[in-house]
Amino acid sequence: MMAAVYATLLLAFILDLSGLRRIAISCLLMSFALCLGLFLWEVYSPDYGLRMPWLQL
Amino acid sequence: MSGTEFSATLDRLILFLMLAVLAAILTAAMVMQYAFGEIPCPLCLLQRVAMFGCCFGLIRQLRSNNSERGTGIALIFTVLLLVISVRQTLLDLFPRPGHDYVGSAVFGIHLPVWSVIISVALLLGFAIRLALFGGAHNTADAERHLPRTVVRALVIYLVVICAINFLSVVAQCGLDQCHTFGYRLFQ
Repeated sequence: MMAAVYATLLLAFILDLSGLRRIAISCLLMSFALCLGLFLWEVYSPDYGLRMPWLQL
Repeated sequence: MSGTEFSATLDRLILFLMLAVLAAILTAAMVMQYAFGEIPCPLCLLQRVAMFGCCFGLIRQLRSNNSERGTGIALIFTVLLLVISVRQTLLDLFPRPGHDYVGSAVFGIHLPVWSVIISVALLLGFAIRLALFGGAHNTADAERHLPRTVVRALVIYLVVICAINFLSVVAQCGLDQCHTFGYRLFQ
């Protein structure tokens, strides 16, 4: 999954450098969506959900 | 040089400096990884993605004549960087079983906290830039305010370090979940 995030990001840079700006933006948006999905997957816990019970305010 | 041209040049210079600082930060992170053996955690890798996304927006803005779309892209990724780094700082605030790895500190501050500082500095930078220069300048050729070759060299450098990061992620994580135990490809 992380490899896909970086692959789409790199593709966005290369396409932008090649002048294909609209496709580059699409790749960047794809990278953003994958990044957001992976972030939520990484921080989600089956026990706590997205809460952080070790923080006592 | 007229007042409008001067502010346009200063605007491009600020954007270029922001891009150069981000490139330096990403390079420093890679030096920490390869020279000091700090294998990045998944959230650290996602923070790098957010920084690269911010760089992409800055590059677009440097080329733009009459639009602030690049700034918008950069701001989206800056907010993403802030969200990820704050969450990671809160995760590592207290030692928890099975989560001993937090990495080393630079100038007494751990890397996720540096990320929070960087994202707040970026948000401030964009806010100050918009407050001072008020957005797009409608100049005929935005890129002429800075030496084209210097900007081009920095952009190519960023693409190269993005490619190195991609190869590094493939070596570390393969096509599976990322861990900080070592490089999956070399085990």
